[in-house]
Amino acid sequence: MPPASSAARIPVEERLFSLVLALLATDTGLTKNEILSTVQGYRQKFAHSGDNSNLERQFERDKDDIRDLGVPLETLESPGQAGNNQNLRYRIPRGEYELPADITFSPEETTLLNLAAMVWREGSLSGESRRAIIKLRSLGVVTTEPVLGYAPRVRVRDAAFEPLSSALEKHVIVQFSYLKPGEGAPRLRTVAPLALVQHQGRWHLYAQEPESGTTKTFLLRRIVSPVTITAKAFPPPAADQSERALAELEEVWRSHTATVQVEPGSDAATRLGKRRGTVAAASGDLELHYSDANILADELAGFGPEVLVISPPELRDAVRDRLMRTAADHG
Amino acid sequence: MAERAQPQKAQDKLAFLLSLVPYLMDHDRVSVAETAAHFGVPEEQIRDAVRLISVSGIPGETASYQHGDLFDISWDDFEFNDEIVLTNLVAIDDSPRFSAREAAALIAGLQYLSALPEHADRAAIASLQSKLSRGASAVPSQVAVEASETDDTLRLIREAVEHGVQLKFDYLNSRGEHENRHVDPLRVESVDADWYLRGWCHLREAVRTFRLDRISDPIVTDEPITHGATDVTLPDTLFEGSADDLLVTIDVAAGAEALLADYVPDGATSTIVDGRVRTTVRVSHYHGLKRLIASMPGVATVVAPPEARAVVAEWAAAGADRYR
Repeated sequence: MPPASSAARIPVEERLFSLVLALLATDTGLTKNEILSTVQGYRQKFAHSGDNSNLERQFERDKDDIRDLGVPLETLESPGQAGNNQNLRYRIPRGEYELPADITFSPEETTLLNLAAMVWREGSLSGESRRAIIKLRSLGVVTTEPVLGYAPRVRVRDAAFEPLSSALEKHVIVQFSYLKPGEGAPRLRTVAPLALVQHQGRWHLYAQEPESGTTKTFLLRRIVSPVTITAKAFPPPAADQSERALAELEEVWRSHTATVQVEPGSDAATRLGKRRGTVAAASGDLELHYSDANILADELAGFGPEVLVISPPELRDAVRDRLMRTAADHG
Repeated sequence: MAERAQPQKAQDKLAFLLSLVPYLMDHDRVSVAETAAHFGVPEEQIRDAVRLISVSGIPGETASYQHGDLFDISWDDFEFNDEIVLTNLVAIDDSPRFSAREAAALIAGLQYLSALPEHADRAAIASLQSKLSRGASAVPSQVAVEASETDDTLRLIREAVEHGVQLKFDYLNSRGEHENRHVDPLRVESVDADWYLRGWCHLREAVRTFRLDRISDPIVTDEPITHGATDVTLPDTLFEGSADDLLVTIDVAAGAEALLADYVPDGATSTIVDGRVRTTVRVSHYHGLKRLIASMPGVATVVAPPEARAVVAEWAAAGADRYR
């Protein structure tokens, strides 16, 4: 039987599982050649005298898939053979693979983690959470109460989230087109991602521009192109990036206020009145906090005649221009 | 309200195998049914995984997968009693660590929960976060969620769910009318900054979605619910269709379609017209539509029918008039 057809019967997960087992079992590591010629799923396709470049590419992809799961797949140089790529050795060090023995979860904690995983309704965080829960169940903790049907569900709509969170983990530079609020055309940005944070319900990327070293915050919603993950790595930043990002966003939000007049009893009065931080003045006018004037202008325009912006003047103009534009587009 | 079963990717299957082995090692003898219940997967998935594990192992000294280099199970117990007994172990001793992203996803979920009144035990949540960080193979990715303020309506919804009773509230609909609603609460969801209650509405006798910020005077009643989470299938989209819905043709800027996803009916097609995406949305009346379209200026335009265009134009013009 030709090697290709017998190999076709080995499912991908069997090949990946066999690779993990083989690399866990070795202390000194296996060379690529040893792996491809002996490990289940590769060996069936291995040509002892011939070209194995397809198989080598497969192995490269498999390594990425395995590392994605948090499995620490290590590369070692063979003694005395530094720089020789063919003699690199691969292994999975047991101590870094296994969950430390002192980490245990009580039934109550397990219930809480199950709920935390259910928060993410869709998208990347939902898949990652599901996998984390499978690993958690591996510990065999039986929960005290059944997982309740009730957990708030959060939808992450931004397509940029998944590639950015992957780049964040690998500490590599990303590129994307960004439509800055107030600008007419998007511009290509090249940045080092530092954190992804949700503030006022919206996801933001906190990132550093490699040339200038300045940090900037980007709204995921305004990333208008696919995110390109480059191969260029940067040193891992300090661990408090998300706190810093949230603190900066909170400061911006707090320092911006708008005053609006709302039609009493209207949808605008009810909803704007319930926003976090909104204060009603004696006159009935509402004072709102906001992070981004363009986003607030879109939102206020949706209320049509129920809202009149008093200040600041830029916001007043922005809302009026939007309403005129919509009226013209539909005239 | 069962979640739809998603087809598993090879990576997910691998994570499952690496998690199942230590569980089986800790249980000398365990039934397929109990294992399936514990992992929350179909029994057949457990049987498939056990069959795969039982023929897997390491190349070993001879590089040829000799019998002793493979996992083994008690086949009699497996085939006749539907029980799993591992009789030979290879390579794996313990549960795997979380990946940096897996730990980050759970930590972000915990941050969300910590804003809710019933999970306000911040010390317990902080201790869990530190365990997850230590149990990850790398520093968890920097993903964080702002601590939001406790919403009283959320607390009352939770209370109604817990006691299996209806929630009563005043609801301001998008036509601007106040209505008294009795609702069997099913689920709370949020999209961006907006929170929604999904439940069985006794006024409409159907599943309805309510914006939390349009709910006033919520009261936990003592009337039992008639429709629980297991009796009702919640559609994936946030808004429920009805036979009286109006269909509207809309042009939307490329890349912005996702913002309208909840309004697009199943099976709707879209075409590209002058660089914009032309699609159909479903609305119960034009009052909701005018608000939606006016909040996406320059991004979305109603193409047809003419009455819908007129309602939007009138709404926007009335708004603009206030600035004269």
